[in-house]
Amino acid sequence: MAEQQALIEIDHVNKWFGELHVLKDITLNIERGEVVVLLGPSGSGKSTLCRSINRLETINDGEIRFDGQPLPAEGRSLAKLRADVGMVFQSFNLFAHKTILENVTLGPIKVRKDKPAAAKEQAMALLKRVGIDSQANKYPAQLSGGQQQRVAIARALAMRPKAMLFDEPTSALDPEMVGEVLDVMVSLAEEGMTMVCVTHEMGFARSVANRVAFLADGQLVEQATPEEFFADPKSDRARDFLAKILTH
Amino acid sequence: MDILSDSADMSAYVDGFMWVLRLTITSAIASFILGVILAGFRVSPIPVLRGIGFLWVSAFRNTPLTLIIFFCYFALYSTFGLKFSGNITINNFWLGVVGLSVYTASFVCEAIRSGINSVPVGQVEAARALGLTFMQVLRLVILPQAIRSTIGPMGSVLIALAKNTTIVGTIGVIEASSVMKGLINDHGDQVIPIFVLFAGTFAVVLIPTGYLFGWLSNRYEVKR
Amino acid sequence: MDSSRRHPGIVAVAVVVLVAVLGFVSACSSSSSDSTQSAATGDGGIIAKAKTGKLIIGVKADQPGLSLLTPDGYEGYDINIAKIIAAGLGVRPEGIEWKTTVSINREPFIETGVVDLVVATYTINDARKKVVAFAGPYYTAGQDLLVRADSTITGPEDMAGLIACSVTGSASALRMQKDFPDVQLQLFDSYSKCVTALSGGVDAVTTDSIILAGYAAQPHNVGKFKLTGREFSREPYGIGLAKQDVAGCNRINEILVASAADGTYDAAFVESLGPSGLKPPVLDPAQLTNCPTS
Ligand SMILES: Nc1ncnc2c1ncn2[C@@H]1O[C@H](COP(=O)(O)OP(=O)(O)OP(=O)(O)O)[C@@H](O)[C@H]1O
Ligand SMILES: [Mg+2]
Repeated sequence: MAEQQALIEIDHVNKWFGELHVLKDITLNIERGEVVVLLGPSGSGKSTLCRSINRLETINDGEIRFDGQPLPAEGRSLAKLRADVGMVFQSFNLFAHKTILENVTLGPIKVRKDKPAAAKEQAMALLKRVGIDSQANKYPAQLSGGQQQRVAIARALAMRPKAMLFDEPTSALDPEMVGEVLDVMVSLAEEGMTMVCVTHEMGFARSVANRVAFLADGQLVEQATPEEFFADPKSDRARDFLAKILTH
Repeated sequence: MDILSDSADMSAYVDGFMWVLRLTITSAIASFILGVILAGFRVSPIPVLRGIGFLWVSAFRNTPLTLIIFFCYFALYSTFGLKFSGNITINNFWLGVVGLSVYTASFVCEAIRSGINSVPVGQVEAARALGLTFMQVLRLVILPQAIRSTIGPMGSVLIALAKNTTIVGTIGVIEASSVMKGLINDHGDQVIPIFVLFAGTFAVVLIPTGYLFGWLSNRYEVKR
Repeated sequence: MDSSRRHPGIVAVAVVVLVAVLGFVSACSSSSSDSTQSAATGDGGIIAKAKTGKLIIGVKADQPGLSLLTPDGYEGYDINIAKIIAAGLGVRPEGIEWKTTVSINREPFIETGVVDLVVATYTINDARKKVVAFAGPYYTAGQDLLVRADSTITGPEDMAGLIACSVTGSASALRMQKDFPDVQLQLFDSYSKCVTALSGGVDAVTTDSIILAGYAAQPHNVGKFKLTGREFSREPYGIGLAKQDVAGCNRINEILVASAADGTYDAAFVESLGPSGLKPPVLDPAQLTNCPTS
C-alpha cells in the first residue's frame, strides 16, 4: 500500500504572504526515487513551494503529506520530519563557528543520536564522496563557494534523508564551480534519491529530471517529462519563459 | 604613601577591593546566566516569553542602579523580609548581588540579542532543516556564535559591573568606595592621594581587562 | 585679593588640589595648616571679617531639628546658634552666607577659607584641634540608641546579635564596632536611611543623642521611636574657625556666655528641638577652654 503512495503529496495548497497570493491551489505528487525540477520565472513561488515541504514556510490552506503523514505543525514530530527531508540552500548556510567535519556530524549526533565515532566515520565517507575529505578540519570561510555547497549536501545526506530539497543550489556560485555541485546532484539522482530541485540549470533538468513542473504567478501551469516540456511546452507562459531562457 | 603604612588602613583597603571582587564575580556569573535566559526569551517563538524578556529589559535597563539596590534593601529585605543570612554583611552582600544581577542581566541580554541578530538567518534555517529543536538551534548554532560576537560588548558590561559594585556600599557592604570615604574621613588632609589610590586600583585592574576582552574578541571572532 | 573674594570656591579647590598633590608627591605626612593662608577670613580673622557685615558659615543640610535645608532655607538648632554668634559679631541674618558642609570637608573648608565658621554637629577632639580652633562647646551630646517605641532594648549591651544602624565612617559607627563587637552593624550613607530601616530591618539607630532626637521629633516619626536615654560617649559640639584666629575664638565664647545670660541661648534650643523631649542644655562657662592659647 505504502508502495503505491507518493512520497510527497501536495494537495490543493494555498499560501498568502499578507495580501499576496503566492501559491494558488497547487497539487503535485512526487514519487519515491523521482527527481522533479521546479521551473518558473522569478517570484513565481518555486522557493516557497520547496520550503513548504519541510515546513520552513507554513501553508494557509490544503495539505502536504510526507510518507503518508500530514506535516506535523510543530515540536518534536516536526523536527523528526525535517530530519527525514534534507535541504540545500542557495547560500550554503554552513555553521560558521564549526569545522567542516562538525557541520556534517552535528545533525547525526544531536538529532539521530549517532555515536560520535560512527557519525565521524560516516561524515568522512560523505566528505570523501563530495571530494572535501582533505579539508575536514577547516572552517567554512576557508572554503570556496563550490566546496561549501558540496559540504552542505554532505551535511544533508548525513541525516540519511528520504528526500532532498534543493533551492537554487548553484545560483550563488561562480560559473566554474557550478559543475562540481551538479556532478554531486547527478550522482545522487542516479542512486535513486527522491529530489525536488529549484534550478535554472536547464542541462540538469533535461538530463536528470524525471519530470519538470512549471510554475507562474503561484500556479502550477504545467508538468511534463523534460523531453516533452522543452520540445513542446503546452502553455504560453512556458513558451515565453523558455524563449527568454534559451536566448541567453 | 603614609595612609597605607598603617596596617589597619591597609587591611581596610584590601577588604574593600575583596568585596568589589566578590560582588563582581558573583554578579557576573548570575547576570550572565540570567541574561542568556532572557535573550532566549526575547527571541523565542512564544509571545509570553518574548513579553517577559521585553518587560525585564525595559524595566531594569532604564532604572538607575542606585534605586534598584535601594529597593533590594528597603523593599525586598526591610519590607518583605527576604533574608539570605542572619549575618548582616552576608545578607547585604546577597541583596546587592540580586540588585546588580537583575540590572546587569538586562545589558547582557541586549548584548547577546544583538549578537543573535548578527547570526545569519540562513544558518538558523539550515539548523531547523536538520531537525534540531528550537532549544538545540539556540544552544548549538545561535548562542555559540552570538556569544563570540558578544565578547567585546560583554567586556564593557563587566567593567561597568565592577564599577557599579561600589553602589552596594550604599546598603552597608564596606566595599572600596566606602573604605575610601572612611579613609578620607580619617585623613582629611590626604583627599587627593587617597582618591588617586582607589581610582588607580580600579584603573590598574580594569584597563587590562578591557584589553583582554578586545584580544579575546579578535581571537574568537567567527569568520564569515 | 579682590578676585579671591569673588571666587573663593575656585581658589579653595585649587589650593586643596595643590596641597594634596604636593603632599602626595612628597609623601609628606604632617598636615601643614600654616602653609595655607585663610582666603575668606583674611589676616584679621572673623572679627575683622564681621565688620564688612558678612560671614560665611558652614552648616549641615540633612539633620532634622539640628540643621536642615528646607525650601524656606536652613533651620534648626545649629542654625540658631550660628545666628546668635553672627549677631554677637554684629552681622545681621541677611549678612550670613550659608554653605552646606558634610563631615569630611569641614576641616578643609576652614583651612582653605571657603567658610569663616563651621557650626555643624562638630565634635571637639584633639586630632581636629591640631588643624582648626574650636570655640564652645555650646552643647554636649552623647552617643545613644534610637529604638522602636515598643522595643525592650535599653542599651548596646542588650543588642548582642541584633542590628544597629549608623553612617559609614562616622565616629559613632567606629565606637560601636570597637566597644560592642557583638552588635551587627548596618551602615548607610545617611541617618535618614537608618531611621527608615528602623521600621523593619534594623533594631536600633545609633549616633549622637541630639541627632537622633531630631529624627524622632519629625512629624511623621512622632510616637514610633524612642531614645534609650543612656548615653555611652561624650560629644562636645564646638564652633570651628581658623586655627590662628585666637581672638575670634575667644570672642565667640564671650558671645555664648552673654546669650546664656539673656535667654537667647535657651530659646535657640526650645524653638528647634523642644518637641524632641530632650532637656535644653545649661551652658557651663568653665568648659569654654578649647581656644588655642598662643
Ligand atoms: N517572507 C516573505 N514575505 C513576503 N513575501 C514573500 C516572502 N518570501 C517570498 N515572498 C514573495 O512571494 C513570492 C514568491 O516568492 P518565491 O521566493 O517563492 O519565488 P521564486 O519562484 O523562488 O523566485 P526566485 O526565482 O526569484 O527565487 C514573491 O513575490 C516574493 O516576493
Ligand atoms: Mg527562489
